[in-house]
Amino acid sequence: MKKLISKARVVPVICLGDFLLVPIQIDLDDRTVGLLQQQVLEEIESTRARAVILDVRMVDVIDSYISYTISETAAMARLMGCRTVLCGIQPPVALTLAQMGVMLQDIAVARDLEHALLIAGSQSGVG
Amino acid sequence: MLHKKVDENLDIDRVFDSPAEDFDVFIRIAREEDIAVARQMAKQLAQEAGFSLADVTKIATAVSELARNIYRYAKQGRIMIKKLLDDREGPYLEIIASDNGPGIAEIDLVMTRGYTTYERSLGIGLSGVKRLMDTFAIYSEVGRGTVVITGKRRRKF
Repeated sequence: MKKLISKARVVPVICLGDFLLVPIQIDLDDRTVGLLQQQVLEEIESTRARAVILDVRMVDVIDSYISYTISETAAMARLMGCRTVLCGIQPPVALTLAQMGVMLQDIAVARDLEHALLIAGSQSGVG
Repeated sequence: MLHKKVDENLDIDRVFDSPAEDFDVFIRIAREEDIAVARQMAKQLAQEAGFSLADVTKIATAVSELARNIYRYAKQGRIMIKKLLDDREGPYLEIIASDNGPGIAEIDLVMTRGYTTYERSLGIGLSGVKRLMDTFAIYSEVGRGTVVITGKRRRKF
């Protein structure tokens, strides 16, 4: 069976049981964020993952557009039956987002990868 | 906090034509990639000026929002950043975002949190910049362009 593979793979995606782990270790310019969204959705479709974990530990700037796209991706993933968990937001990034008033309310947020895996595997919870 | 529509003392065209050598960072915004470049350069300058990591992140985020506004609404413009030294109060980073785009008819509206004319947006760009920075002023004239001048002082820590 042929799978539709995204032409532009911008991030590595690690399959971990029912979950997809996406460590984001590149600078997120607008185009890259768009490609990231597309890639994540395609990976969800092809792997039928139950949850996707976006690890943003290495991302040092998250602005309003990146936040918007992450929330939008989570909403799209939810429509495909997949939960999204964001983890590893750096303290200065959290400070900046909170001060700007970005709450990322529609997405589950975890303290670290271990916590993210716990949330991803739980039955209840938002995201 | 300054929040004016048109200021007699500020000539939008003259700000736009400021010579590059007056600034520590001067970036033309014309392509989407330029947003990330502006963000990185602002971050580097703030780091070199000794700002805390929290403030470096805020400055880089503010520049990212301003550069994106230029790219989205005016197609092109420039981001100019200058380090001002003040012996008493420590260094101050001034950021000027300038374009010759369509201008903003209702500034109060665009400064409102959640207001946006762009479909894929949270509508918190400009109000977010104002919250992240210490000073903020916006000047705009329909048909002539927009200038945002914003700054942040280095905190003693």
